[in-house]
Amino acid sequence: MYLRKNRKARNAFDSAARYAVAGMCVFLLAVCVRPLYADESSARKKFTVALTGKYPPFSFYSAGGELTGFDVDVARAVAGRLDRELELVTTEWDGILAGLLVGKYDAIIGSMAVTPQRAEKVNFSEPYYVSGAQLFIHEKNRRTIKGIKDLYGRKVGVGIGETYEHYLRNKHPEIKTLAYKSTVDIFQDMRNGRIAGFVTDRLVGLYQIKKGGMPFQPAGPLLYKERMAIPVVKENPALLVKINRALKNMKKSGELDEFHEKWFGTGTGPQESRDAAMTTKTIVIKLLAGFGKTLQAAFLSIIIGFILAVPSGIVLNSRRTVAYYFVRSVNDFIRGTPLLIQLFFVYFGAPQIGLVLSPMQAAVFTLSINTSAYMAEVIRSGLMAVDPGQTLAGRSLGLTGLQIFRHIVWPQAFRISLPPLMNSVVALMKDTALIAVISVSEVIREAQSIISVTYEPLKYYFIVAMMFFVFTFPLMKLAGRLERKIKEKGFLNA
Amino acid sequence: MLEVRDVSFSYPDGHAALRGVNITFPKEHILGILGKSGSGKTTLLKCIGRFLMPQSGRIELEGRDIRELPRRELRRSIGIVFQQLYLFPHLTVLENMTLAPRKVMKKDAHEAEREARQTLEKLGIGELADKYPAQISGGQAQRTAIARSLLLKPDYLLLDEPTAALDVDTTREFGQWLLDLKAETTFVIVTHDILFASKIASSGALLTGGEVTHTGPMREILETAGYVEEEE
Repeated sequence: MYLRKNRKARNAFDSAARYAVAGMCVFLLAVCVRPLYADESSARKKFTVALTGKYPPFSFYSAGGELTGFDVDVARAVAGRLDRELELVTTEWDGILAGLLVGKYDAIIGSMAVTPQRAEKVNFSEPYYVSGAQLFIHEKNRRTIKGIKDLYGRKVGVGIGETYEHYLRNKHPEIKTLAYKSTVDIFQDMRNGRIAGFVTDRLVGLYQIKKGGMPFQPAGPLLYKERMAIPVVKENPALLVKINRALKNMKKSGELDEFHEKWFGTGTGPQESRDAAMTTKTIVIKLLAGFGKTLQAAFLSIIIGFILAVPSGIVLNSRRTVAYYFVRSVNDFIRGTPLLIQLFFVYFGAPQIGLVLSPMQAAVFTLSINTSAYMAEVIRSGLMAVDPGQTLAGRSLGLTGLQIFRHIVWPQAFRISLPPLMNSVVALMKDTALIAVISVSEVIREAQSIISVTYEPLKYYFIVAMMFFVFTFPLMKLAGRLERKIKEKGFLNA
Repeated sequence: MLEVRDVSFSYPDGHAALRGVNITFPKEHILGILGKSGSGKTTLLKCIGRFLMPQSGRIELEGRDIRELPRRELRRSIGIVFQQLYLFPHLTVLENMTLAPRKVMKKDAHEAEREARQTLEKLGIGELADKYPAQISGGQAQRTAIARSLLLKPDYLLLDEPTAALDVDTTREFGQWLLDLKAETTFVIVTHDILFASKIASSGALLTGGEVTHTGPMREILETAGYVEEEE
């Protein structure tokens, strides 16, 4: 109570908080709002095709930052023959079929192998190329490992959701199969000695090993052949007919063979474009663009989340009414389930009730709801921390309940809540990493696509981590400062 | 005239805090409500402030039951300064003072501020205007809280244990300060500090175990009750 502080203390406290919040809001609104609606104009009917963009040489980003590769060429040629404008969507492999099923895109041209399980859900076109599953091992083991059976009891890597994972688990259960997010991670663990081999497409494997200069080589014959085809939803047989006709014509005209020669042939011509590593400029632009999306998602979610959290926090701090039990159970459910699943649920589930959200909209929606659940708890405890005597004093002065809340309780609760709210903001910033799974090309996804051609995971993941840290560190410092100021002013009744 | 008639109050746990209390508060005096801790003083204060509703009996202001008074009229007639004062920590002393005049009496900001500064000057604490509650002493906080309530010009201002946080010297100063203000309102000092009360109050009531055992001039209460302050 007897702290001697001059006016500057108060000014520093208030202006620090105000400028930080106001500055961020302005910055974010400027960065964010515009691109959210940017991709909604359309003239000619679009042919929307999904692929990962992280699967060289089938789909990846070129030195200039453009999507390129065998699958991309095929997609472009098919769209041309359908007389439709091609729109490419990059998305994670493990959610790519789910996206097709709910109508996020018309087709997948992403080297998807035909399997009976997949064929139950979707219709496959005629295959547009044939490859096969190949085991690769470290060069130094070439004398001891001659084939798949030599790896029984040891660990083998595969891409998560790829057919090889299913194949190994069923046909070679003696092998410990480890599923990885990307080939780059597999290469890293091969060199770390965590896995003794990996199974992938023979063409892809050879290409990537050569490109990355990796000391790996194929072992044994093809495990099985795969036919790569274009899946579309069963409800659209007309499109399937058109795609099949396009593929047939492409085969007949030799166009498909040209693509094959271009990407897998021995000639050097078009190869130089893909062999050149991404330029620094492209990498910087990709990372900044990705981080822009990250910030856009984060800050829109923070603003919307906070606006939702205030009434929820108030309800949570009030008497046990229907509203209380509703908010209580919704909040508990949100906080008790993984954000990843919530994202899938919104992105893939919303179209089922006729609500088609763009990936960014779905991300902002989910993150807003998610963070509002946490912020509401912070606000609830902030309200609880205000001495009930403050309300008593307000009443004794004749203020109404609303006036007491507006002028006495809320200003104190908000200041008390600010430091933990900052922590929610920091947590949310980091949670944006998850929205890549619903095809938002935020910074981590961009980093992965860079890594898929540069093979330098540690370097680029570190850069991305630093980008996050540059933003989160001042927020954490500010939270600490605010907390000290609040204690000095004796808000929390000790 | 403020009258407490046959007021009884029991807490939900069954504890009977007030049992048939009768007290009359004439205007223009400093009055004392005395009693040891647990004698029902604060419960009575909260009933008069309409923060607790007595199960029986009534409290009347100028002949009207306070339960029927509109909020604004009640608060402008009876002010309360709680033992813990409850200054608003996020507002300066001046802002603490102008909040109710602006929001309850709908005065404009300039007028409210002018009046508040005037009052602070008159009470000898003008230099506190721009400080925050955490930056002033206990005695200054006590005066600020009283000043805040006085701005509503209440007929009665109830002070709950106003000397609890003050040392001996400050208590003496504070007593003199109150005496200088007795033209402003009728102060009702609710306290266990019978020495303090005896110096500034003209008459009062003594509560014992939720019942009024003595009323009348302070001198008589002191003599007949043989009341001895206990160390707390």
